[in-house]
Amino acid sequence: MVAVARRSVLIGGAVGAGLLAAGCTAGGPSSPAPTTPARPDPLLAELADERRLVAGYDATIARHPALRARLTAVRDDHAAHAAALVTALGPAAPPSPTTPAATDSPGVSPTGSPTGSPTGSLTASPSTGIESSGGGTRVPVTPAAAVAALRAAERAAASARGTAALTATPDRARLLAGISASEASHVAVLA
Amino acid sequence: MTAPAPTPTGPGTPTATPSPTPSGTGQVPALQAGLAAEHAVIWGYGVVGAHAGDALLPQVRDADDAHRTLRDDTVALVARYGGTPVATEPEYALPFPVTDRGSALRLAVHLEEGAAAAWRYAVAATDDVAVRRAALVALSDAAVRATRWRLALHTSPATVPFPGD
Repeated sequence: MVAVARRSVLIGGAVGAGLLAAGCTAGGPSSPAPTTPARPDPLLAELADERRLVAGYDATIARHPALRARLTAVRDDHAAHAAALVTALGPAAPPSPTTPAATDSPGVSPTGSPTGSPTGSLTASPSTGIESSGGGTRVPVTPAAAVAALRAAERAAASARGTAALTATPDRARLLAGISASEASHVAVLA
Repeated sequence: MTAPAPTPTGPGTPTATPSPTPSGTGQVPALQAGLAAEHAVIWGYGVVGAHAGDALLPQVRDADDAHRTLRDDTVALVARYGGTPVATEPEYALPFPVTDRGSALRLAVHLEEGAAAAWRYAVAATDDVAVRRAALVALSDAAVRATRWRLALHTSPATVPFPGD
């Protein structure tokens, strides 16, 4: 039975506000620069981090194909995050190093080697915890360890985006907060 | 009064009485948007609890408790910033009939998505760092709970790229 009521549960207003703010975000190039022109746009670091996460998932799926079903949707969330950050950055966005939606082709990864041979000197990313060298990403040997590494990376990412949201312009705060919350929810599916 | 839309049409209260941070704007409308959503969500969890079944009741109680705590904290925050906390409505409409476990879980997802939308709005509606942080935590918690309910429903994908969109 449906309670007859005077107002709907949340839908109208909340979603309406979302659409409004999304419209604002779309106007990236015309929005005022949040920092002095001399400094790099702080969103660039967030974008680089999201791209590292996408690469990390691609490499993990390539190394542990059994995880594909569990990880693909999360990986695609990060691709969507990166795309939204590119839009928000406008002309300042660097070109994408990878194709944003390549998860439908099994066994093919733009960055990970299917046999997963971790090579080269590794640089730990301070914010994601995903180690990478050049275009490659080091994936732990066991699936459980690989998922644990991704979980840690999600926690770090949620924290980083959340911190960035605190002092960003309203449009960017909305975007970064949404990404942060998405990443927090990723931890739940990787548990 | 209680406007369903979280548009910052609120009482305005431009009176500068913020105790935690002396600078910042938009705290009260931002918090009121979140508070109005929390009222609706708490009402909705009553319906969820009535249909979710015994096995899910502990999870429903946990979620309900979390929202009640958040509501109380938000009421206190609104008052601290000089606003009059919006009251709950006597009644809300269900987005679809809730008759069994499945529809109860779908309602739970819907409620958390609505909470996420309101709190995400709140993040952008104020430049007060303390209020933004509170809104961000509420947004993330709602997104996590929505994901847990989707997992219980075996909904795929269980996550969304932009909770509150």
